[in-house]
Amino acid sequence: MTILEWDGYQAAGTKAQTTKGIVFGKDYTDEFGANGLAYSLITNDSQAIGKVRTGSKFDLLHPCAENFKDYVDGGFVQPFDTSLLPSFANLNPALVKGGQFNGQQYAIPWDWGYGSVIYRTDMVDPADATGWELFWNPKYKGRISMWNGATTNFEIAALKLGFPEMDNLSTDQLDQATQALIEQKPLNKRLWVSEYTDLQPMLTNGDVWIAYSWQDQWVYGREHKPPIPFNFMQPTQGRLGWYCGFMLGKDTANYYHAHKYVESFINHQACLSLTNNFYYGSSDATVKISEITDPLLAKSLSIGDPNVLSDTSKVHLQSWEPNEVAVQTAWEKVTAA
Amino acid sequence: MSAVGSRARRSASFLRPGSGLLILPPAVWVLAVLVAPIVLIGLYSVNLKTNLLGVPTAFSTANWKDFLPPGPNPFWDRFKISMTITLVVSVITVVAAYPLAYFLAFVAGKRRYALLMVLLAPFFTSYLLRVIAWEVILNNHGVINSLLWDLGLRTRGDGIPWLIYSKFSVGLVLFYSWVPFVAVPMFVVLDTMDRSLIEAAHDLGASRLTAFLRVTFPLSIPGVIAGFVFVLIPTTGEFITPLLVGGPSSFMFGNSIQSFFTDTPNWNYGAVLALWLVAIVLVMLVVFGRYLSTDLEDAAT
Repeated sequence: MTILEWDGYQAAGTKAQTTKGIVFGKDYTDEFGANGLAYSLITNDSQAIGKVRTGSKFDLLHPCAENFKDYVDGGFVQPFDTSLLPSFANLNPALVKGGQFNGQQYAIPWDWGYGSVIYRTDMVDPADATGWELFWNPKYKGRISMWNGATTNFEIAALKLGFPEMDNLSTDQLDQATQALIEQKPLNKRLWVSEYTDLQPMLTNGDVWIAYSWQDQWVYGREHKPPIPFNFMQPTQGRLGWYCGFMLGKDTANYYHAHKYVESFINHQACLSLTNNFYYGSSDATVKISEITDPLLAKSLSIGDPNVLSDTSKVHLQSWEPNEVAVQTAWEKVTAA
Repeated sequence: MSAVGSRARRSASFLRPGSGLLILPPAVWVLAVLVAPIVLIGLYSVNLKTNLLGVPTAFSTANWKDFLPPGPNPFWDRFKISMTITLVVSVITVVAAYPLAYFLAFVAGKRRYALLMVLLAPFFTSYLLRVIAWEVILNNHGVINSLLWDLGLRTRGDGIPWLIYSKFSVGLVLFYSWVPFVAVPMFVVLDTMDRSLIEAAHDLGASRLTAFLRVTFPLSIPGVIAGFVFVLIPTTGEFITPLLVGGPSSFMFGNSIQSFFTDTPNWNYGAVLALWLVAIVLVMLVVFGRYLSTDLEDAAT
């Protein structure tokens, strides 16, 4: 099977998966071995849909919710047969619903998390760290690193500028957000590309004090020896929220294998492994706080609350953008400016 | 005699089956891997093909109008910045490579080919690895900054801000990457130069400097231009080095092209940028081709 996947999320049992204690994917590789699995890796959502739009075929894909509709509308995927997924019944209904199109289950939700500002509390004045505008603070020029993720940066700019619909910007709002990002760009040390080989080292060794990140880096900092003084901000404008899931390639010749593979990721132990090893939330609604090894992480992820991504006063779910191409092109203008 | 003559004619006939047949394989190759992709990119640039869902394909020059002056366009500005970086790197690389080539040709003696191999040794490793190695050297916690901290020349933890993720780091790594490659054509010209001309200059009273300036250097100009072109053209479309050691303000034009075809899959706009770059490279080839001999050895003698 060929799988479009984020680096680091390869199934346990494959050579590429080197994190100890990982369980997701293990049931599949235990039963069928790892030799039949091939991964095509992505570093951002635009790249993922780009690969598919330009003709690459995959048996399984692991995109995020903001692009689910693009895959369905483009005819790149087919619905799952949920009766072949024993653990499907345990999944968070709110996330499951987001994967339904035309009454069919096109996406099986698996991982979710927050996106926000992570900063070094030993370097950044707490009075400055209140909201997304921290990225625009010239006091920290050269110590900031935003993600090289086109649409996410426009969502951040939209929240900073106070636009109510961050994923449906008008032409005028898009121009304003573009200008804001062009003004912000020189403050960055670098636009990070890879979370583990790019962002993490820069934050850890102090080259960068302020960055866009997901909550896993905050846990990483706390578990680091010695601990790195990170804070994962709850901006006044709210955090970003996201969830991703598996989609089934339209022309897959491995229909049943693909279901087996997905089941090996959404079963209870696999979902626990996702949270305890990778510090992300999972779609398994049966996970209990007591099963999470890090109580602070469990609290942060509001384990047990199925509507965790619905409270818009705290989190803004990254959603499908009707003008995605215009946003992506605007991001290219920002990087070229 | 007649049999030998017949065999010779057959042999000649075998070697020259007709210019049309001989040119067919390279012509097919050039058409398939050079002309056809450029035509395809041309179709994308005027919207006769598209990778965007729901966008109708109809002839349009909107992307060209958006990109080309006089309208303000960041890609045009990025192009100008990239060309400046490219030209500066090319000139510095040629200036630095010339003494190396001169040393190999005139000083190294019998060891020159062995030393040439040493010079070219970095090319036996991956370009990507060589760039990443520079990341380790230039990084804020890399070799240079750590040395400065250990020597007490800078406060520990305070790295030189422009050492990495800057135009400097991009220029430095490009310079390092191309110096050996640029030295080769200059070495070929210098190594095969007719030494009797230099000796004649000395016999006529020219000092070593005068002989170099009036004889050696003018005769080596084809190699110098070849070296200049060798670095100028590839770096014009460079994107790996700025991606790895460049900062947000030192991305090059090639990064925008790469991004339009991968991260931001708008092939139509990317095709405009790509075709523009192809046109610039062709112009450069035409301009510099006038000064290049097809046989550097002939040029030197």
